[in-house]
Amino acid sequence: MGAVTDDEVIRKRLLIDGDGAGDDRRINVLLKSFTKWCNSPGTPEEGFTQYQRMLGTLAQCEFSMGKTLMVYDMNLREMENYEKIYANIEQNITSAHEKISECKKEIQRAKRIRKNRQEYDALAKVIQQHPDRHETLKQLEALDKELQQLSHIKENVDAKLELRKKQFHVLLSTIQELQQTLENDEKSDNDDNNQESPTENGE
Amino acid sequence: VHAPASCVRHLLHMSVFSQSFSPCGRFLAAANNYGEIALFSLSSALSPDATELSQKPILTFTAHEGPVFCLLSTDSQLLSAGNGEISAWSWAELIKKVMGRGKILSSCLMTLLLVSLCCLSQDNSLIVGGGDNNIHVMDLEQGNFKSVLHGHTDYIHCLSIREREGEILSGGEDGAVRIWDCRTGQSVHCIEVYKYESCARPQYGKWISCLTTDSDWMLCGGGPSLSLWHLRSLSPTSIFSLPGCQRQATFYQDMILTVGEGPCVSHCLLGGDVKAQIPCTPQSLNTLALNTNSTEHRVLTVGGSSDHIDVFTNLSYRAFSLSF
Repeated sequence: MGAVTDDEVIRKRLLIDGDGAGDDRRINVLLKSFTKWCNSPGTPEEGFTQYQRMLGTLAQCEFSMGKTLMVYDMNLREMENYEKIYANIEQNITSAHEKISECKKEIQRAKRIRKNRQEYDALAKVIQQHPDRHETLKQLEALDKELQQLSHIKENVDAKLELRKKQFHVLLSTIQELQQTLENDEKSDNDDNNQESPTENGE
Repeated sequence: VHAPASCVRHLLHMSVFSQSFSPCGRFLAAANNYGEIALFSLSSALSPDATELSQKPILTFTAHEGPVFCLLSTDSQLLSAGNGEISAWSWAELIKKVMGRGKILSSCLMTLLLVSLCCLSQDNSLIVGGGDNNIHVMDLEQGNFKSVLHGHTDYIHCLSIREREGEILSGGEDGAVRIWDCRTGQSVHCIEVYKYESCARPQYGKWISCLTTDSDWMLCGGGPSLSLWHLRSLSPTSIFSLPGCQRQATFYQDMILTVGEGPCVSHCLLGGDVKAQIPCTPQSLNTLALNTNSTEHRVLTVGGSSDHIDVFTNLSYRAFSLSF
């Protein structure tokens, strides 16, 4: 391996790759063959063939250049496209973020609503255990009426009692007065009798 | 100060009794039966590059000589109740990993078993449920006791506040839930839960260990089944048929989350259905806490008869565990 010297390597490389690669090489070869053609002493046919060959190479070069230009154009447009897509995605990301926060708020709201509903249900369960308000009101009304009736009756009975009491009172007081009057009369009669008898005896 | 916590046998026998989140929502304080309080950093435990180390406490210290049954956070302080005294620790100092000098707020309750603390934010008073069957109201600024509420016939397990109406609810070993008016200090209502046939579970007893309120509704449970009560009509509306006794419950959005005996967090609907039971590490749970102080670290943490505290980022499954 070490037998090959650096000079050898350089010479070989220059020989093989001296003109550069691809298009560069073609242009270099064209230039070289042009100068050779200008200075060549060969026959006109040979010259013409050389000339044709050179035109061919030139056409190849132009074709290659055209292709490169188009590729460049395409790349530029591809770049634009990618920029557009990138901006679009950015926008989507921000709107998705917003939607997420909106949804989170919605969830909180929904949870609050669910909690309220559950509290309501829990209370409703307890309330159901108690009797219906209308029923109770009706019962209360009936009881009220009964109460009223009973107190009415009580009033009547009381009034009657009062009346009878008064009547008896009147009766009793009249009897007492009569008794008193009778006693008084008896007494005064007795007195009269007593008064008369001494005077009779005295005569 | 780390020596007791790292002993394996200690860890096996550890029970977490209470938790509290910092006012900024980035830290969790948890207290256990050894009287230790451990501070965990939620931001490092929840970050994408969290390691095993981020699930360990950033600070552990012994706050009391006995178990710390109750932790409560105010705007700037962490209050802990244990061994008959209430201590106040500054959150700012705790966050800087400095234990600071815990200010002892009251040592006159020396002989009492203190299981519950509650806070009234309006007039800055601290409600303490004592082992002497009474509820003591303490002024946080002055540091003295303003009033005592008498009425319970056995010690108090749990307290809750109805901010809107200015009422205190208390549940105790005597099976009664009492509603007190803060201003008059009188017991406005007394509900003996075990007397209601639908809730009572005589095989467990009549004590109430779990009480929470949502101003219109109340959840209470313990010996009797966990039940939802409508406070204005003082009637039980739903009974939750959960095996075991519940130790802590909370309202969350349209659900009820509850923990107690049994290695799971139960999700229930207000109607009485048990929607789901999410398994947890500890065999039995004592405390449940929801971090409402921070939007990025909205987690549910539960602790119980284990040195692990389960953290839920999504309520449906356990994400990871913090350990003492």
